[in-house]
Amino acid sequence: MLGEIYKITQDDLYELLKRLARNHKIIGPVKKGSRVIFDYADKVSEVLVDYDKRILLPPKKFFLPPREVLFEYEILENDVIIRDRLGEISREKRVLIGVKSCDITSIEILKKTFDRHFKDPYVLTRIKNTVIIGVMCRDVSPTCFCYQAGSGPLPRTGCDLFLTRLSDDYLIEVKSEQGQRILNNNKDLLKTASSEDIQIRNRIIDELIERMKRNNLPELAEAYDSLVSSYESELWNMYAEKCLACGKCNFVCPTCHCFDVHDEVSLDFRYGARIREWDSCHFLSFTRVASGEIFRKDRSSRIKQRIYHKLVYSVNDIGVISCVGCGRCVEVCPASIDIREVIRKFVRR
Amino acid sequence: MRENPYIPRKAIIEDLKDETPDTRTFRIKLEKERFVFTPGQFIELTVFGYGEAPFSISGKVGESAFEITVRRIGTVTKALFRKKKGDVVGIRGPLGKGWPLERLYGNDVLIIAGGLGLAPLRSLIQLIIENRRRFGNVTLLYGARSPRDLLYKEELIKWRDMVDVHLTVDKGDESWHGRIGVVTVLFDDIHVDPKNTIALQCGPPIMMHFVSKKLKQLGFPDENIYLSLERLMKCGMGFCGKCTISGTYVCLYGPVFCYSDIRGFIENIPEAGV
Repeated sequence: MLGEIYKITQDDLYELLKRLARNHKIIGPVKKGSRVIFDYADKVSEVLVDYDKRILLPPKKFFLPPREVLFEYEILENDVIIRDRLGEISREKRVLIGVKSCDITSIEILKKTFDRHFKDPYVLTRIKNTVIIGVMCRDVSPTCFCYQAGSGPLPRTGCDLFLTRLSDDYLIEVKSEQGQRILNNNKDLLKTASSEDIQIRNRIIDELIERMKRNNLPELAEAYDSLVSSYESELWNMYAEKCLACGKCNFVCPTCHCFDVHDEVSLDFRYGARIREWDSCHFLSFTRVASGEIFRKDRSSRIKQRIYHKLVYSVNDIGVISCVGCGRCVEVCPASIDIREVIRKFVRR
Repeated sequence: MRENPYIPRKAIIEDLKDETPDTRTFRIKLEKERFVFTPGQFIELTVFGYGEAPFSISGKVGESAFEITVRRIGTVTKALFRKKKGDVVGIRGPLGKGWPLERLYGNDVLIIAGGLGLAPLRSLIQLIIENRRRFGNVTLLYGARSPRDLLYKEELIKWRDMVDVHLTVDKGDESWHGRIGVVTVLFDDIHVDPKNTIALQCGPPIMMHFVSKKLKQLGFPDENIYLSLERLMKCGMGFCGKCTISGTYVCLYGPVFCYSDIRGFIENIPEAGV
């Protein structure tokens, strides 16, 4: 049943992963050099299930890769043969484990973004073919604000199973029918969770919320009206003067989805490929049309584009804000522009 | 899942015709299916080996082939200009929303075009001419840089039988005896009833900026003015984010927008003239 909570020992959790690894590739927090990143794990034991820091690049890259070949083609005398890459994508089944609530919510937002009038088969197929096992945060970083973004500490939807680390064991929570099926097939690994266990879990959630409440931030969904009426505010110029238009905030954002498309061709001109690559609304080239016209020349218009997309346009478009409060853009901005400060400035409480 | 909307359909260049020194009209036929569109919509065209770019459809509705009029300006268009009759290209579309036909029936129609902006209006003018009795007075104001930059020269002459055509050029030559100046000078030559006229415009942003101002001065209500906006419609399906204005995807909800919708955008629209 959805919402049902079981208990599983750490060893049995890795046994569950091992079983899933028979027909899935496993993606999770993995140590690479001195860093921990989301990556494919060669061995299940490599996965750091409840790694307690926020990983810099979100798992978005497994659904919308930084660069991907959409299709390839062979140029013939007077014909062309097109080879779709979708087949390969739809064959790959994956488990993504160790994802925090903010990132789980971001995958839901990506799903909404790519499933509207048209369906983006690349992104949607990857989401469909990925079992998502989330994990409760054990810590709040100074830049976290998922609580005010409405995306955490517990995700509403977007994952199949959700883990909470107790001292030695984990609680494992059913969050989807697929999650239920996985647990049904692995009943031998599960134990009953006691009411004390559940209380510990609830206390962890309460504590995470309490700590985030201290950042004195209004709920992000309330920023809509204030932002709509502040578009012409002089304050934006102040941010425009600071912003370097480097696009780092876009590239670490778990919901930024804009991309550019171009073709690449082999030197003998026989083979071509259509490539899509992440793009940034902070770049001047982002709105440049063939005639040379650039529609967002002012840096302030580009700063606004990103903030308004997250908190205003997204609501109009997919019904929810698209900032999940992960704080990555705050952390990487070389000009110390902090979206929380922007919100505090514009939202009258 | 349905067929992959990123994959272009193969099409053949059936014919081509030079319009001006740097523009050419291509007549294109899908290899397998019929092509059904409404005036004002656009396509994404692939020149294999070079890339894909958006073009508004300029030919007649209801024919087995369709036309686009292209200016030689970037990588894809330069490659397209090297294509010959019978060559293969890729097509996605038709995409987007076109001119508001239902608003035009029974009303006067004022069409204002600048340069290549006449292309997406040509399909509409052809449709009006074939169903002439369903429309009131129809006026075309068209401006180009010079007489040789006027598109569809032979058709402009033919259209005069059915449509009130007014032309102007920025810079004349010995052969030119018509108006000189930007397209707004042509407003001096016409009389329109703003309440019963739907104004449709397409051209460079600076032209639409001044035309919008002019139409408002003349008393056109916002809901009687339509603009075709040019933005970078890369994917054409509301995903890549490059064509948005105030978060609204031009590729999905445009390129034709009603002025009243544009006025509702919080982002500045240079074409709106406000």
